[in-house]
Amino acid sequence: MRYWKAILSLVALLALGSALAPGAEAQAPKGEYKIGVLEPLTGPLAGEGKRHLEGYEIMRDIINERGGVMGKKLVFTVADAPNPTAAASEANRLITQEGVKIITGTFSSTLCGAASEAAARHNVIYWETSCVDPKFTRRGLKNVFRTEIDGTGFGWYMIEFAAKHLAPKLNMKPNQFRVVFLSEDSSYGQGVTESARDRAKREFGMQELAAEYYNFRTINDFTPTIVKFKQLNPDIVFAISYNNDAILYWRQAKEQNFVPKAQVSAGATGYGSPDFGKAFGKDADGPFALLEPAPGFKVEALRPEGQAIERAFRDAVQKRTGSHPVGGHQLAAGGLWILKLALDRAKTDELNKLRDAAMSLDLPVGSSVNGWGVKFAESGQNANERVQHYMLQWQNGELLTVWPEEFTVKRPKWIPLPPWDQRK
Amino acid sequence: MRASHVAAFAQLVVSTILLGGIYALIAVGLTLIFGIMRVVNFAHGEYLMLGMYLAFWAFTLWQLDPYVVLFVAAPLFFLVGLMSYFLVMRGVITASHNVQIFTTVGLSIALQNLAQVLWTADFRIARPWHASVVVPFGGAAFNLSQFVAFAVAGALTLGLFVFMKWSHAGRVMRATAQDREAATLMGIDTDRVYRLTWAIGIACVGVAGVLMSPLYSVYPTAGLQFVLLAYVVVVLGGLGDMVGALLGSLIVAAVEVVGSYFLGIAWKEVLYFVLFILVLVFRPAGLLGQRGAETLGA
Repeated sequence: MRYWKAILSLVALLALGSALAPGAEAQAPKGEYKIGVLEPLTGPLAGEGKRHLEGYEIMRDIINERGGVMGKKLVFTVADAPNPTAAASEANRLITQEGVKIITGTFSSTLCGAASEAAARHNVIYWETSCVDPKFTRRGLKNVFRTEIDGTGFGWYMIEFAAKHLAPKLNMKPNQFRVVFLSEDSSYGQGVTESARDRAKREFGMQELAAEYYNFRTINDFTPTIVKFKQLNPDIVFAISYNNDAILYWRQAKEQNFVPKAQVSAGATGYGSPDFGKAFGKDADGPFALLEPAPGFKVEALRPEGQAIERAFRDAVQKRTGSHPVGGHQLAAGGLWILKLALDRAKTDELNKLRDAAMSLDLPVGSSVNGWGVKFAESGQNANERVQHYMLQWQNGELLTVWPEEFTVKRPKWIPLPPWDQRK
Repeated sequence: MRASHVAAFAQLVVSTILLGGIYALIAVGLTLIFGIMRVVNFAHGEYLMLGMYLAFWAFTLWQLDPYVVLFVAAPLFFLVGLMSYFLVMRGVITASHNVQIFTTVGLSIALQNLAQVLWTADFRIARPWHASVVVPFGGAAFNLSQFVAFAVAGALTLGLFVFMKWSHAGRVMRATAQDREAATLMGIDTDRVYRLTWAIGIACVGVAGVLMSPLYSVYPTAGLQFVLLAYVVVVLGGLGDMVGALLGSLIVAAVEVVGSYFLGIAWKEVLYFVLFILVLVFRPAGLLGQRGAETLGA
């Protein structure tokens, strides 16, 4: 009888041991944990909003295959936020009627401010994975986190690429660059462009010839601006845009035969959107867009844990969409994975405890989806230098990762950009 | 004057004329409905968007050039106009302006979302051969599709002007616009006039959408980009005045192009809305509109 008891105890211990072993997180989650996902699913930003939502859903399924969050299956309640008013009212609804304690979203800088303030009134966590407006994390709100770089980071990277990569290729010094800035005028465009202008001038002494802002909802013609740019003859055009305006500008630049030495942009919209490639085919070739990794990306350059989750994510996107992940997918997925890490560490969604857990995350570059690392500042902003970004270039109608060299097997082409009729 | 300045000046002139053509194309249908029916059609931009989608799908599915689609689009949108008149507008034609505004705004939102459900929010662009043909012109350059849009806008404006001025139907429509009650007493079937006006207006904007499809991205809210501007054009030119619509379009385009070049692209809306306010203050009937030649506040 004693032997039976000893054997039973041993089996029980083994069972407990296996439950605590590293593989335990792969166990099926018990119960559900619901968060709110707020995205522009109708209106002018719906294209990116839907891509973002798709990224969330793909990553949610991966998370659930890996044990969910806090041991529970992660589920979404999704709300549509086509404009700031709807973002605020839907955030209120998610909190008061759906009872969520965490809201994530919203893709756009025009929406994240309104949505997060509504969440702040209810002490609910607002976990932004995409909008880059620098003001977002500078309002002293304790409930706000952002996993993506802010606009100053985008601006920093654009200038870094021009000064460190384009200048030597063009046999120029950065202070010889004559540059123009063309940007849509929402907080996204202004945030990125102002920080880029500041760094270009202050740190590298680039000569700014013009800085033009426009409303992306009402722009119908870029010709006068392009005529002006042609006369100024800049080396580089730094352009921040949404989709419709990028397509219009590029078409009219071709009509006016305007060719700077390089065109550099940032973000998953405009020149970084698949819509740009669809609109132009091979004519899309040439411009650079700062983004998440695209084909050419060297997954092996990441840390082992980063490689594992990046591969799982890429496979899942390929399976669901039949193609590579694109910006919106990755921003949402990268941010949601970091939320899972924070929730698992906090084991609660109570604001202060989750905040402490998020602050204690300290992962170097290469640890997570997109090669991101994590180190939140007191403001709730992930450190720009941990949020690794990559320069992509349209080549043969496809966006490819071309910089930094250590993360890619592809190389930038067409420096300087050849005339329109000589691109091969 | 340096050669580059001459080329720039030539380009600004060409851009003004061609952009004005695009605006006129949208505005003629709007001014017709606005002028005759006194209905503020906030769904005008959505009919434009439907015209763009028609051309896009015809090109994508059957490789039909938008200029071929044009011949189908005009009668098709005339029928769409008739249908939407019977289903929506007929019930509110005698209601207050507020009810009409809410109705057309509702129609606009419904059409936008219908497009989103049917075709998703993706940006699409039809690329027939002429969309990428650039024509050099005295140091300037323009897109062939944009030139055709301008030419059709001119022809459409002229055609409607002649129709309104000299045809019996045109006279009847103008009489209804001036005094609905008197027109009814004279035996005019005003319901029929409104039906015809609405259908012609919608057919015009459908044609505009088809012609603009090679030039602008097609997406469910594509119409929003143009509709507010079309109202500025219509008020500037004079309610219901076809030639006024063309003139208003050219003025708005000139303000936009010249302002963007000299002051910066951010100024364009400031400038043409200031112009809009000035016209409303000093010449409320518009540049070519005749004060008192219409039923006000009916």
